[in-house]
Amino acid sequence: MALLITLALTVLAGAPSPSPTLAVEDTMHTSVPEVLVHAPRVTLDEILDRVARGEARRDSVLEDQAFTFTLRVVGNIQSRKEPLLLLENVRRVYRKRPDKVRAVMLREYRYKEKGRASMQADFSSNMSEEVVNFAFRPEARRDYRYHIEDRSIVGDHVIYQIVFEPRSLLAFDKPRGRVWVDTNDFVIVREELDFEHSPAPLILKDIDRMVIEREQIDGYWVLRRVLIRMRMTIPFPTIGRAFDLTLMYDDYALNKGIDDTVFSGASVVEGR
Amino acid sequence: MIRSQRVAWAVALVVASLAGGARADDGAPADSALRRYLGGLSDSTDTYFGRSAAPLDTAGLDSALAFGLAHPGHRVGRRQLGFELIPTFRFNRADGPVYGGTVGVGSAPDAGSVTGRASYAVGQRDWIGGASYDKSLTRGDAMWKLDVSGGRRTQIIDRESSDKTLASVRALLSGSDSRHYMREAGFTVSLERETAVWRAKAGFADEVQKPLSTTTTWSLMGNRADPEFNLGARHGRMRELSYEVGVQLPVVPVFLQTEYQTAGDAIGSDFEYRRYRVTASGDWSTGPSVSIVPQVTYGRLTGEAIPQAAFYLGGSHTLRSVVGSSMGGTGLTLARVDLIGHDDVLALLHVPHPDAFPIHLGAFAATGATWGVDPYGGPTVPGIDWPNREDWLHEAGVQVLYRPGIPETDGYVRISYAQPLGPTDRGGRWSFTYTRALDLVDRIAR
Repeated sequence: MALLITLALTVLAGAPSPSPTLAVEDTMHTSVPEVLVHAPRVTLDEILDRVARGEARRDSVLEDQAFTFTLRVVGNIQSRKEPLLLLENVRRVYRKRPDKVRAVMLREYRYKEKGRASMQADFSSNMSEEVVNFAFRPEARRDYRYHIEDRSIVGDHVIYQIVFEPRSLLAFDKPRGRVWVDTNDFVIVREELDFEHSPAPLILKDIDRMVIEREQIDGYWVLRRVLIRMRMTIPFPTIGRAFDLTLMYDDYALNKGIDDTVFSGASVVEGR
Repeated sequence: MIRSQRVAWAVALVVASLAGGARADDGAPADSALRRYLGGLSDSTDTYFGRSAAPLDTAGLDSALAFGLAHPGHRVGRRQLGFELIPTFRFNRADGPVYGGTVGVGSAPDAGSVTGRASYAVGQRDWIGGASYDKSLTRGDAMWKLDVSGGRRTQIIDRESSDKTLASVRALLSGSDSRHYMREAGFTVSLERETAVWRAKAGFADEVQKPLSTTTTWSLMGNRADPEFNLGARHGRMRELSYEVGVQLPVVPVFLQTEYQTAGDAIGSDFEYRRYRVTASGDWSTGPSVSIVPQVTYGRLTGEAIPQAAFYLGGSHTLRSVVGSSMGGTGLTLARVDLIGHDDVLALLHVPHPDAFPIHLGAFAATGATWGVDPYGGPTVPGIDWPNREDWLHEAGVQVLYRPGIPETDGYVRISYAQPLGPTDRGGRWSFTYTRALDLVDRIAR
């Protein structure tokens, strides 16, 4: 109360306030009667339809994009040794509708330069980010079960957390997971995945955690990064028993009108 | 009065403060809140993944980009065009040991890949090999696949046979290999379109097919080859058109597949036949730990009843109480249901074992029949479109399953015991096989 009086006097005196201050009211208490809301709640099916439409809309508004892509593999995870960077490939990727794509190699690092192990990511001109929305495409609805796990209000956004899992226990290559859907755009903004059973028990014990993050750039939701931790059944030389696979997407330029000359005479992947 | 004034001031101040706070975040207040919310989740991800989630070191990237853009077509070098050499070894009683290798060239997405094969069949004293080219292309929501292959190879006479690799191992170790083999020389080409719901494939084959005789009867364990004879294919030039359509049915988890092959004088074939097969495979889950896999198939061959176009019964893909491909005809019908457990029984029993070897239990029941002209030369079994009641064979059994996940995620190594049911003089039979869970169809792989 003393704080309120002090603040009131300050305002009455016309003294300049350095910054807005939120007062805490501790004297007033009120209650309102419960109101029965008769409006129908949006059904799960409708939410799934809207997510499918939202993702399709997100894809359709992208005419071209450029981003810096990083593929990184770090071994010796969850071991007594220090984590070890085994591989890092960095490329600048250009995509433009309908079918133009170019990836310029910017950096290529391998822990053992003469080693045989290598990994490459291939790019297409497709900007639909299937890695994010594979379970929410209309054709995937028959393959998964969904339920709403949580709703939360963040600012003026309502965020739905929807959990999904494959209908078939034999779909060992299909993960289960949880997505965070921003209902302003009905776009998936985050996703966490795992597998109930290892896809390849002989070598892969499990996928401990897989996280997919998106970010909003110039009003468009785009991939930010994919992080996967895999644990093996037996230790592999250099890699150890567990390793992380990271895909990062940085420095986006969206719908900037990439000149067609960027793609002329270029192979899909090039660099030095 | 004084109290009510104080309350009014307090309310005014609180409202003013809230309004001021809102103005202070002007620009994108709600988006900022969402950014903070996602940022909080992202921070916990950073903590979990540590070094793997570290931001990119951008030093030197600008100059590399300038170089790359100024030199279009400058390739990364050896990694652009993949090259691999894999030694191979196979064994069967017709070829004996087959030593060879596979050379793969090219894995660039815009180029497709070429694979060359060459091997020497010791028993036949014959070189076999060839080359194949395959290319996949995604257009919209569909994937197109082109396969072209040519050369000489050893082919299993039973077209629907699976488990080829394990059959070779069994033949080498114990001499047990019920498959029959023939030589093919020529080329095949096929084009396939696959979406998330259906796929269609059309192909053409032009091959000279020859019978092979048994050349090798030994095995590492000292047993003689069983069976010792190798069913002879009809010698001639086979030109065949083939079509295949697979559809994931709506509502029910059933995959329906139809295949049709036709060969005839009109396309220059020495053989004249029409062959079709319709298969439905279901996949239901009961609770969190058991899958029910019912499968039914029906096939018919009309025209020339050559062994290499016949239908066969017996073995892992049909009736497990019958020796593999030991019965045949111009008609085939089969219904089978498998129960596949997903719990690791060793873990449930608290038996220490490596993570790499979860063991599951399963059970199955099946019924099936072949009819028509017997490719083994036996009497023709009566029936035109459907077998007689007395020609049906029934069985039930149990199995121990291990799923390595390689090369197929739903492929199981099975040790099965199948007990014939009904009036029969057949006894129970053990088998050691490798098959996919839905082994009668090729489901959409995407």
